[in-house]
Amino acid sequence: MIQLEVNDVSKQFGGLLAVNHVSFQVQGPELIGLIGPNGAGKTTLTNLLSGALKPSSGTIYMNGQRIDVLPPYKIAKVGLGRTFQVTRAFRRMTVLENLLVPALAMHPTARQAQFVKKAREVAEFLTIDHLLNEYARALSGGQQKLLELGRLLMLDPDFIILDEPFAGVHPRLMEIIYEYIIETNKQGKAFLIISHDMETIFTLSQRLLVMAFGKLIADGPPEEVKRDPAVIEAYLGSDSDKPWQPERKTPPAAGDRIAA
Amino acid sequence: MEFPTIFWYTVLWLIVWGAVGALVTPRVYARKDKFTYQTGMLGAFVGAALGPIGLILLWRLTPAVSAKWLGASGIVVLLWLALAFAKAAPNNLCVTNGSFIATQIANGLVIGAIYGLMALGLTLIFSILGIVSFAHGEFYMLGGMVTYYATQIWFPNLNPLLGVLIAALFTFALGAIFELLFLRPMITGQIERPGEYAILVTFGLAFFLQYTTLSLVGASPKKVPRFFDYPRWKLPAETGGLLKVTPGNLTFFDAISIPSARFTALIIALVLLFVLLYFLYRTWTGKALRAVSQDRQAAAVTGINPKRMNTLAFALGGMLAGISGAALVQVFSWVPWVGIPASSRSFVIIVLGGMGSLPGAFIGGLILGVVEALGAGCVPDPHRAAAYLPAYGMIILVLVLLLKPTGLFGREL
Amino acid sequence: MRGTMRRLKILTWVVGTSFLLILPWLIPTRMHVAVIALYYAILASSWALLAGYGGQFSFAHMAFAGLGAYTAGLIDKFIRLTTAPTYACTEFPLGSWWLVIQDTASPTCLEKAKATMPMGALIVKLPAWMDILMGVVVGGLFGLLIGALVLRLRRTYLALFTIAFAEILRTAINAERDITGGPGGLKLSPLFPNGVTLLGHEFTAADKLPPYLVMLGLFLLVMALMYWLAGSRFGLFIRAIREDEEAAGSLGVDVVRYKILLFTITAMIAAAAGGMYAHYVRVIAPNMMVIKEMSVVIAMAVIGGMESLLGAAIGAIIIEFALEQLRSNITIGAFTLNMADWRLVVFGALLMITLRFWGNGLIHPIIQRITRRGVAEETVAKRLQPRAATEPEDDTRVKIPASPLEPDP
Repeated sequence: MIQLEVNDVSKQFGGLLAVNHVSFQVQGPELIGLIGPNGAGKTTLTNLLSGALKPSSGTIYMNGQRIDVLPPYKIAKVGLGRTFQVTRAFRRMTVLENLLVPALAMHPTARQAQFVKKAREVAEFLTIDHLLNEYARALSGGQQKLLELGRLLMLDPDFIILDEPFAGVHPRLMEIIYEYIIETNKQGKAFLIISHDMETIFTLSQRLLVMAFGKLIADGPPEEVKRDPAVIEAYLGSDSDKPWQPERKTPPAAGDRIAA
Repeated sequence: MEFPTIFWYTVLWLIVWGAVGALVTPRVYARKDKFTYQTGMLGAFVGAALGPIGLILLWRLTPAVSAKWLGASGIVVLLWLALAFAKAAPNNLCVTNGSFIATQIANGLVIGAIYGLMALGLTLIFSILGIVSFAHGEFYMLGGMVTYYATQIWFPNLNPLLGVLIAALFTFALGAIFELLFLRPMITGQIERPGEYAILVTFGLAFFLQYTTLSLVGASPKKVPRFFDYPRWKLPAETGGLLKVTPGNLTFFDAISIPSARFTALIIALVLLFVLLYFLYRTWTGKALRAVSQDRQAAAVTGINPKRMNTLAFALGGMLAGISGAALVQVFSWVPWVGIPASSRSFVIIVLGGMGSLPGAFIGGLILGVVEALGAGCVPDPHRAAAYLPAYGMIILVLVLLLKPTGLFGREL
Repeated sequence: MRGTMRRLKILTWVVGTSFLLILPWLIPTRMHVAVIALYYAILASSWALLAGYGGQFSFAHMAFAGLGAYTAGLIDKFIRLTTAPTYACTEFPLGSWWLVIQDTASPTCLEKAKATMPMGALIVKLPAWMDILMGVVVGGLFGLLIGALVLRLRRTYLALFTIAFAEILRTAINAERDITGGPGGLKLSPLFPNGVTLLGHEFTAADKLPPYLVMLGLFLLVMALMYWLAGSRFGLFIRAIREDEEAAGSLGVDVVRYKILLFTITAMIAAAAGGMYAHYVRVIAPNMMVIKEMSVVIAMAVIGGMESLLGAAIGAIIIEFALEQLRSNITIGAFTLNMADWRLVVFGALLMITLRFWGNGLIHPIIQRITRRGVAEETVAKRLQPRAATEPEDDTRVKIPASPLEPDP
């Protein structure tokens, strides 16, 4: 049973409270969306979960184990995997080698040859199997994103954090990523997906977390969150009486009211 | 050897409690749910300064980290060291003779100002190009070499200041050419791994320049006489109690003696420093440079050509090193290797001052100058004192990198 | 494909080793250069492992070689084994032997003790292999320490830190002349003090062939070790760390452990080379650790190809021979070029130009051409194939076969 428990976590950078006393819990293979205006602290929160940053206060438990004190690689072994906002493929390694790294890291006594078949299957699933022996730097941006997802499949974590998986991706690749998320979720993995693509995130997720100015301002099913006055205020400003339009392709972040 | 025992025990005591403080303090702060940033360093300083008592107090009170606490405990640490030194070597000149110490410190500051100038060049390069030039010392060496050839060989009666000017132009041109040929490709995307490339290619340049110079001028030391003889002068006129000037020396307060060659070098350094500050803060080009160092893209949008700024910064940085060398060629004898310790000094200084900080570089230079002068003057065995000269700065470098990698004035994350 | 690769690999090893084995008969007068070339080859290829594979741009590699050399030298100078206690020096019983340290406080204690020792008592030095081994241990300890200290430092800072460490070490050895002999150097006994008999031929301590063979043995051992490491999970992980530490950590790679391990292993290799070198040249000076030496090693690795252990080693051997070849002066009319200095200028220029135009070095691309032959064509061919035809059974692109040992999905 997947279980993630975030208790009152804060992260301070100098005078800025990037994540402000956030608490939430995940039980079982949920598919959670995390949204919020730019600078709301979404990426900081994922960094806290994955151990890239240490919280200034608060605790995080995963499957009964306290993980906020662990180094990132141990968190990965507990069962939490992530991608990055900017793709971070190992550029001077082949696709196959990229895929082998997490598998070998998870199985300290296994040999490389044991995972090649699985790597090929993963690559096939993500339609990058013809590139297995190419260096990752030769891949297009979208293919590198797929490669990152492939590494997660090889890592095989229980809880997967995807930071902007749909940003700047060709519609065809987006389909694959979408399918990847649905399929993997069916296999019993929990997801936390950060996205600015409102349409996708609303249809995809079963539960939405909304952050603004470091705080978690809403947590619930998408339809409920859509009507939450706090969310509307965060996205549109308090003086608006229009209902929020989640169907828009891009959040209205371009307006200067967000910055206010 | 009886001398060092008490001294070394003191050092050991400082290190042990410093280490305990550095390791335990952040945990104590974390447990009390307080902000832990830099508490390791505070713990190290307080532990070294006041031992277990100080640490217990620190852990009970857990004050917020401030420059005041750090500075105060740092001074106490230095006092302990001085005290232990005085106790260990009561007959050392540094303990018995105040005028000697004052002279050492004054000379250290003078040389330090020039180190600072040189490090400013490296800081300029780092803040614009984002790289550390491992060939910085070679520009310093070439500055001195060119001055030697200009004033002694090619034009024997040339005004030394013109020699300095020639050196400045030469190193500026060299820096610009190197930047255009080897560093420009980094920003135009022709180099696959710019970070690694920058380290290696400047390292290669250092090697290349050293051996080219060696092949051209040979290994025998070059000596330039001091640029200017000062007229004899006294203030007040009879006793010279405040200032006594002879052709080769200046004596302040009957106690502090500075050779006039060094004094000339100091004047050159200070004039240049003010010219540089004027350039950076009052001219369009200077402002453009600073803009690029803060935000490349934003600067480019406002019509600044960042590529040209890169070339300018590298050339200027090389020139500052060149002028430092030109100013010091009258003080030290010059061989093709003088650039190596000079490079290391610049590294120490920019790390100490904080990478990319202009005031940090200059103040770092002064600190290093004083540390080296005191080290050279106070270490009891004169042979050892001279032999360990390059190591003092390196020890500072290691300590800063371990305790506070952002340096004194570095931009915080 | 895989069989071809394997055969190619074995062929390279066999041809390379046999070439190096018959080299003494090809160039009997240049054996000294050959030994030194192997010394540099070990250093350059281990630096390639550290910097090219692991991305750790350390300038302290020669310092580790120096540590190995000086540890061997100091043991050779100060430590003796005797069959009877001296009662004058610092000593420890060691089975039926005594380990005697002639420290600087009592440098002549052994001389004095000789008078009181029983007749027939033996005083011997430790065998060379033992003090080289001690050098390796010391080098490894320092590598561990430095590796642990530089963990948090990013590339440029790491370079500065390691330069500082190397300079402090060199300065200390220079200054402490009571112990190390200072800039004047430290004398060592030869690798085979009593000569050695090989295939019925007796070699004296001054002959070059036995040390050449020993150095060659070390070289082959080190290459085998490093290739094994590079091909194992260790190699995969350090390359992942080089590419992106944070991403590697998030995928379960213990970054701290592998970085320290990498530092320790390469430091031990450098120390072994240093110790061997010390016993071969028989007098070492702090000069062996100057920045110039480090530059030479880096240049060899870069020109050979930093991302290839073999490339770096070949680069080192070729360059060392070339440098020796270029020693003789060139006279053009009345103008004489002092090639002893100019050859290094050429070398420096070559380093910069290689970096600028051939970032992967000169030899590595040739090797890659062979090992990655056909990869691009296959990728294209594969892409043009309809996806339905992509059956794993007729797929031969992957070099490593899938094992039946499939870990649970």
